[in-house]
Parts: sequence; C-alpha cells; structure tokens
Amino acid sequence: MRTLTSEFLRERMAKGVRNSKRDAMSYRGITLTTGTMPNAEGSAEAVIGSTKVLAGIKVALAEPMQDTPEEGNLTTSAELLPMASENYDIGPPTPEGVEFARVVDRGIRHGGILDMSKLFIEEGKVWNVFLDLYVINYDGNLFDAGTLASMAAIATTRMPRYEDEKVVRDESMKRLETGNIITSCTFGKVLDELLLDPDGAEEELMKARLTVANSEDAIHAMQKGLGGSFSVKEIDSLIDAAFEKSKELRGIVKRSIGD
Amino acid sequence: MKRIVVPGDLVDEKPVHLMDAFIEGNKTYATVISVYDDDKKTLIPLEGLWYPRKDEIVIGVIEEAKLNTYTVQLNAPYKGIIISKYAESSMANGDMIEASVKELDKTGTVVLSRPRVLNGGKLLRIRPAKVHRLLGRSNTMLRQITDGTGTMIKVGMNGVIWLRGGDTDLATDAVMRIQDEAHVAGLTDRIGSMVKAQAPKPQPAPPHPEEGSE
Amino acid sequence: MKNNDIKLISNGKRLDGRAPNEMRSMKIVPNVVKNSGGSAYMEWGKNKIIAAVYGPGEALPRHTANPDRAVIKCRYMMAPFSSSEEHGRVGMNRRAIEISKVTAEVFENIVLLDQFPGTEINIYIEVLQSDGGTRAAGITCASVAMALSGIPMKDLPYAVSVGKVGEDVILDLDKLEDNYSDADVPLAILPRTDSVALLQMDGEMTKKQFNDAMAMAMEAGKTISKLQKDALRSQYIEQEQKYR
Repeated sequence: MRTLTSEFLRERMAKGVRNSKRDAMSYRGITLTTGTMPNAEGSAEAVIGSTKVLAGIKVALAEPMQDTPEEGNLTTSAELLPMASENYDIGPPTPEGVEFARVVDRGIRHGGILDMSKLFIEEGKVWNVFLDLYVINYDGNLFDAGTLASMAAIATTRMPRYEDEKVVRDESMKRLETGNIITSCTFGKVLDELLLDPDGAEEELMKARLTVANSEDAIHAMQKGLGGSFSVKEIDSLIDAAFEKSKELRGIVKRSIGD
Repeated sequence: MKRIVVPGDLVDEKPVHLMDAFIEGNKTYATVISVYDDDKKTLIPLEGLWYPRKDEIVIGVIEEAKLNTYTVQLNAPYKGIIISKYAESSMANGDMIEASVKELDKTGTVVLSRPRVLNGGKLLRIRPAKVHRLLGRSNTMLRQITDGTGTMIKVGMNGVIWLRGGDTDLATDAVMRIQDEAHVAGLTDRIGSMVKAQAPKPQPAPPHPEEGSE
Repeated sequence: MKNNDIKLISNGKRLDGRAPNEMRSMKIVPNVVKNSGGSAYMEWGKNKIIAAVYGPGEALPRHTANPDRAVIKCRYMMAPFSSSEEHGRVGMNRRAIEISKVTAEVFENIVLLDQFPGTEINIYIEVLQSDGGTRAAGITCASVAMALSGIPMKDLPYAVSVGKVGEDVILDLDKLEDNYSDADVPLAILPRTDSVALLQMDGEMTKKQFNDAMAMAMEAGKTISKLQKDALRSQYIEQEQKYR
C-alpha cells in the first residue's frame, strides 16, 4: 500500500530531508551479523532500516563446468520469502527475485573475492559454493543488503575437507580464503532527486535505480533498473558517490568479519 | 486488578459477555491479547483486527479504477469498493482517500460511500486495536497532537492515519508512541509533554508552519 | 531406523547429556518481521525458525475461498542452508507439503474462522536451521505469531515430539535421535482443553509406552506454554516498566 505522496516528498526534499529524516546521500541504520546460522558453512544477516536479508553458504562437492575444468563454481539463488512483504507470493522465482540474485552474484563473482582455482580438488572434482539469499523483511534496497550479507557470509565461510573420498565437516574447518571486499551502493531517482538507499515507501515512487558494486579501487558490477533513465552526468556523479559511501560499508564488513 | 491475558486464558470464572472473549462451561476465556480488569469486568484488546461498522470513517488507497467501480486497499481483511457513480470526482490509482462504510457485503467486500481524495501528506498504518487510544475520549488525545504539532491528522478506524503539514515527524513519533504504549497508564500526559516540549510554536498553529524546531 | 552402533542413551543420559524427560533450551522473540500481521522467531535447541502470519485477506485464487469462513493456508519450508550436511534442494518437497497441511489443520481447531467469511489466513514458517523437531518448533512459533497478529483464537497451541529409544520413552528428539530412534511421535496440543490437534507416529511402541510418552508431552507443555505466554506479554510489560 502506497504511503507517501509525491507532494509530501517534494516538500520534504525542498528542506533537504527525506521521509525518514535523513539526507539524500545517507544510509539508514545498518547492522551486519555473521555466524547467525552455524549449520551453514557461512552465514550473515544484514539489516538496513527494516530490510532484513540473510545469506547462507553451503559448500558441496561437484563436477567442474566443462569450460573451466580446474575451477570451482559459485551458485547464487534468492528467495523473496512470502513473509517478507504483502506483495510477495508463493511460487517460482519472479523476475524481481532473479534480478536480485544475479546482481548480487555479479558483484561477488567479478569482485576478486573468490579464487575459483582454489576450489579445485582433483580432476573431475571441485567445490561448489552455494550462496542462498533469504529476504525476511522488505523495506527497499534489497541489493545493498544482499551484497553486504553475501560478502560477510563468504568471508566467514569455513571450508569442508575432502578426505578418503568423503566430505568432512568438523570443528577444524578452515576459513575460505578471500581477497577483495565488495559492497554495493544503490541509488534511486525519486521525483528527479537522486537518493541513496531508497526505502520501501520511496521505491513506490522511484522511476529509475542504479546499483554500483565496487571494491576500493574498481567497479565490478552495475545494474540500472526500472523504466526511467539517468543522464551520463548523473551516472558519473553516482559512481563517485558509490566510491565515497563504500568506505563506510567496507568498514561495516570488516568489523563483522573480524578483520 | 488488571492483568494481561492471551488467547485461551481464563478471563473470569463466571460467564461474562464481552467482545474478544467466549464462554464455555460457564467460564469466560480470552480470544485475543487483552487487558482484563477483574473489578470493572472490562476487557480491553491490545491486538485485534478491524471489523467494519456502518458509517465508520476509513482511510485507504485506490488500488484499481475500473469501469464502474474503484477497489480500495484498506489495510484490513476486506477490500473496499466504491461505486463510481457515487464518487463526486474521478480518482486515480494510488490516490489516498477517506470514505465512510456503507456495508460489509456477502462476498467480504466493504462497500464505501462519500469518498474524498486526500491531497498530499502521508499515511501511517497502526494496529487497529489502538485507534481508540489515538483518538482518546472525545478526541482529546488526537487534539493534543494536532495542537502541538500543527499537523492535520485524519484517523481511519481501519488503522490507517493520514498526516499533512506541521511537524509531521513529531506527529508521527507521537502516533507510534501511542501505538506502543496504549496500555500504559498516564499516556495522555506523556504525549502532552512530548508534543509541548518539542512543539515548534506555542501559539495556535498556522495552517502550514515550517517544519523542524530550529 | 534402528541402529545398534549408536547408543542414544547410557546411564540414563542422552548423547547431549539430557535426561529422558528433558527438553532442549528454548527462546522466543516476538515481532521479528515488521511487514507481517504478527511474527516470532524461535530457537529450540539448535533449531532456528521464523513464523509470520498475514491476513485475513482476500482468498486467492478465488476458488479457494469458502463463503462461510476463513481458510488457513500454511507454508512450511526448510532453507537450503539449514542442515549441517548437504545443501538442500530449494522449494517444497512432499515432506514439507504434508507438514504445511497438518500445521494449517492445527490452527483450524481454534481460530474463529467464521468471523472472516471468504478470506484466507496465511502462516509462513521458515526453518533457517534444523536439528530435529522443526515441525513442533514451527507450530509453537506460529502460535505466538498468530496471537500477535490479533486473529481471535480459542487457545494457544504448542507442539513437541516424544519418542522411544530402546525401551526408554524420551522427550523432544533431536536430529540424531530422530534418525535412529525406535519411535517418533510429534504432537500439537491445545492446552486449555488438553486436546490433541496434531498426532503423527512412526516406529514401534506399546500402548503403555505411548501413554507414558503422551503424559511426558503434556508435562513439558506447561513449560512451553509459559514460554509462549511470556513472549506474548513481554513487549507490553517492557513498555510498562519504562515508567515504573
């Protein structure tokens, strides 16, 4: 149910504040907690405002892909749980859910986090890292919450061992080696204003969306969404904003993974 | 003595006819989380759903404008419907409206009449069981907030609240605080001092005062 | 499944040190899913579960509606990362469909369905981590979520499983016990009337063992019911205590 009118939002933004008392380039409160689900090889829960996303990692024995015989795999899926919003239904993944999983996957996959060659075990045997995203409560900006949860879950994943033709999961599993830290920043175009971290009420009025996933020095994934568009100049400024804001997010990731 | 009861809890050893309770074997049991006053024999629900009653005011959002009808989201078990010919002006999807309940028809739809579009502002959704507390006896609680914040507030009995103008942040905080503390004694005074302490101007509020206290 | 290699009870203690009639530790946190009508998070041993309730609302598709009363729909699902073993398959399997059905039926006993003709009530139970007894934990948690949603009910159901190892009747089976016990009996009870709203059983038990198991479940129910009621009252009491 729509709860904001454009008149209301316009009046607010004329005064430099949004609905939730923050300015255009601020996040809502963020918490990131790792190890919430110890049965999983890695897990993390990201909360941005009232948006709550859980990432769980399971690592399984698999056959390599034909084109990469000496590399492991990453498989990312997302569930927009019907409990998370009155607008989510039971059923096969929606285009919205698939886009969410794929955008998070691209940032993680191309961000130099996982060295796929290290997931190689022996000829014909590799590790497959399953990354499952669970949206528990929706209040906008799933992408940034999903990327935070995924990044923290992967960085705290403990790898099973392959011994005597069996997968062993025990107390002495070692942490998966990871490289870069990737985070994403999502911006919405709402009434011609550019807003970082749109909440659910703002997304109802959002015309266009841009997600930038980056490490400290490079962009690794981008996604422009919805029916509206951005000027080249706007995109240029949003990339700058993403690099700036990601410092904050990387700090949150580092603290949560104990770095 | 007052105590919190939950569904299935014994409310009274004797049969007492109460909303939100049922009688079995000559005893009375609760059906929703409520506060029971053993002396006054009153059961005040803390949670509950909205049941439409004739002539009640509700607030909702137009979901779909069809050829002869509008459907309305009401934040309730029931969908609202407005017969287009009874609407004075045409309405669009997403419009916030105020209307009164005509009847609950057999298909579980609330037939609404006298719709009026609410321009601008924003909506809050609160738990319907708290609406009476938000209004207060003869609307005293609500008047405290509107006077202290300069915000225009309309309350739908279905738990949807519309706010516009004035210090909407303070008004929002006050409404949400009433939802959380509805059952705690002394609420009227607490809300009174909350809106007075932070109110931007002590004089009668202008129709659209500046927001913020600085 | 009988297994003589694993001794589930020795010297009156179970593998995790519990006595036969001892439950695992439990915790219930109310209101964890803001968008829902009512919700709760429950930890029951190593099980971690979220239950949320939406509705009553328009029953969809329309042919599922009953013109005389509300219908209850339940979806119980295990997360693919919930097990300590392999990655689980995403989506509903036959087991999940059955659990969803019997869970919905528990609530049909006590929800005042005739007050909401033509509507549906949705119960969503997500098992985030599993260690045996997830259906019991799911029902216990959903019961709290349902009460918080304000949907009127005549009772507050709880659930627990009982079973048998060798000749010993045991309470609240964990995953290992569930896999290797001689009998497993998940139960849901309506505590106001001590009626049985869910009963399943597999394995082998004498009638006396079953009766003993049932008595053990009812005794445990006092603890579970209290935990549920405390969770329901906690938020109101916290608000009151701010001003004491």
